[in-house]
Amino acid sequence: MEKKTTLLRKTSKAFLLTGLLLTILSSIALYFYTKKLLQDQVEESLYSTEARVVDALKNDKVVYSLPPVTEIRKVNNIGKETLKDTIIYDPSQDEMEGFRELATYEKIDGQIYQITVRNLVVESGDILIAIVLSYIIIFVLAFVFLFFFNTNRNVKLWNPFFKNLEQMKKFSISSNEELQLVDSDVLEFSELREEIHLLTTKVRNDYQNLKQFTEDVSHEMQTPLAIIQAKIDNIINEHSINDKQFEQVSSIQKDIQRLKQLNQRITLLTKIDNNQFIKIEEVNLTKLLKEKIENFKEMEIDYISLHSKTDLIVSMDFYLADILINNLISNAIKHSGPEKMISITVGNNTLVISNYGQQALIHPEKLFLRFYREANSMKSTGLGLAIVKKICDLYKFDLSYSFEDQQHSFSIIF
Amino acid sequence: MKYLIAEDEIDLQQSIVTYLQRDGNLCEVASNFEEASEKVALYDYDVIILDINLVSGSGLDILKSLKKEHKDVGVIIISANNSLTDKLEGLDLGADDYITKPFHLAELNARINAVLRRGKYGGNELIEFNEIKIDTRSRTAYINDRAMALTKKEYDLLVFFVANKGRVLSKEIIAEHLWGDDSDLLDNFDFIYVHINNLRKKLTAAGAKYIKTAYGSGYKFIED
Repeated sequence: MEKKTTLLRKTSKAFLLTGLLLTILSSIALYFYTKKLLQDQVEESLYSTEARVVDALKNDKVVYSLPPVTEIRKVNNIGKETLKDTIIYDPSQDEMEGFRELATYEKIDGQIYQITVRNLVVESGDILIAIVLSYIIIFVLAFVFLFFFNTNRNVKLWNPFFKNLEQMKKFSISSNEELQLVDSDVLEFSELREEIHLLTTKVRNDYQNLKQFTEDVSHEMQTPLAIIQAKIDNIINEHSINDKQFEQVSSIQKDIQRLKQLNQRITLLTKIDNNQFIKIEEVNLTKLLKEKIENFKEMEIDYISLHSKTDLIVSMDFYLADILINNLISNAIKHSGPEKMISITVGNNTLVISNYGQQALIHPEKLFLRFYREANSMKSTGLGLAIVKKICDLYKFDLSYSFEDQQHSFSIIF
Repeated sequence: MKYLIAEDEIDLQQSIVTYLQRDGNLCEVASNFEEASEKVALYDYDVIILDINLVSGSGLDILKSLKKEHKDVGVIIISANNSLTDKLEGLDLGADDYITKPFHLAELNARINAVLRRGKYGGNELIEFNEIKIDTRSRTAYINDRAMALTKKEYDLLVFFVANKGRVLSKEIIAEHLWGDDSDLLDNFDFIYVHINNLRKKLTAAGAKYIKTAYGSGYKFIED
């Protein structure tokens, strides 16, 4: 996935990059422009000095060479006028220095003179550096100030947005807690707030309605089911029916039982959602497991082995603990197949229930979904594990499933 | 015994009446809150079977008025709501038992019998059926005054059979009575055979051949 940056970081980054680019470009432009100006200045002064030397020569005044600044030599041929940078020895400074040099040829009274004038460029170089440097300093200072000012402003400006975002992160569909949304004088933020409010309210209402509907349906089904059940009970007693009919009627009873369980489980899920289990007590899961295993023995299920060194005590609602254990063991019993072997291992704060299985589940990620069944051969409500998951979520227990060495294992870390 | 069945679903009400009348009990019915309140105020019953959600009022209010008048009557609440709080509220208000829809009539009957044993009206902690005596306090069954060695499930099974004597009990009904919701764990109820056969053997050994097979796969506890 693409790496995400925060809004403030992003705007700051853009601002800084633009600033850096601007500084570099404008500094370069300033450098060349100032350099050109200074060079023109030097050249202008060279030409004017040369003109004065020529004037002096023409007026027959004696002109001394003043190396390295002015040099006059008599030559035989007229050369080309040159303007160049050169490095020559400066006796006054006793070192090599950079000079701008103008060499011209002038024929005065039949004699050709080579006139060379030079100007030290160190000075203009220093000025250039000073100008560019001060420019950069002023620019950077102004920029830093702007940056902090801007960032600060951004933080304040986006504040309602960030606050509302935090609120939305806390949003829970099942809770009735109102979102504390902050209003803003920025129109877009204000609109966003309105929309969030509308949306969350609607989502919650829809969820509540759906939940209520599910609850009502399962509730309303109980009475007709009770009537069917009661009538069947009377049919087998009041009427003379044959064995085949009895068989079928008995099988209807089984289906009624399934529907009844389905209803109970839907109601249970709703109740957990509604936070109706608030009583928390210390439940001894090891003891509970032993009781369950004893009960199952009476149903000819005697292949559950329990490995427990210590008593596992967990804080939760006792009724939910009972359902949690029951559903996990029931699930293992239903899917243990021909290799009837279920092992339950209890650790200090873990519980692992494993049963034999020929192959791993095709869709383990769907295991805890409502009404998901890997194989349709088992008559189950498809809610047992969804309830287990819900209970674990309620108490923030860590529930996981794995398949290793032909064993389906459900682990809970309390 | 005299029962009042306060249930607004007429079909269910009549089915309950039909089932309970077989033992020669007198069953009166009330189909709404007013009728139920009136009958409860006017007459005495041994057990009232009370639906919490009566069409025009709450069965819990009838319970309250019973308590106010100190009427000594067994009350079994029937409700479509499998809620623990409802259950506790009902029991707090003096109901003796609570049963959730849908239920087997045999189960209701067994509960009525249990309530009658505990209640003062004809209250008797001893169940008798010919040579069989069951002391429900010590949870021991006697046959010809000799204690039987029964497992917990066999004992429960015997009490259930006696309470529903003469009725056909399918394996589903028995399984649900003995194991409740866990009874759906197995696809067949073969394990019930084990318990029933053990009980039958113990009874037969003492000469009591009351457990009969009905319709091939059901059972009936009946005198010859």
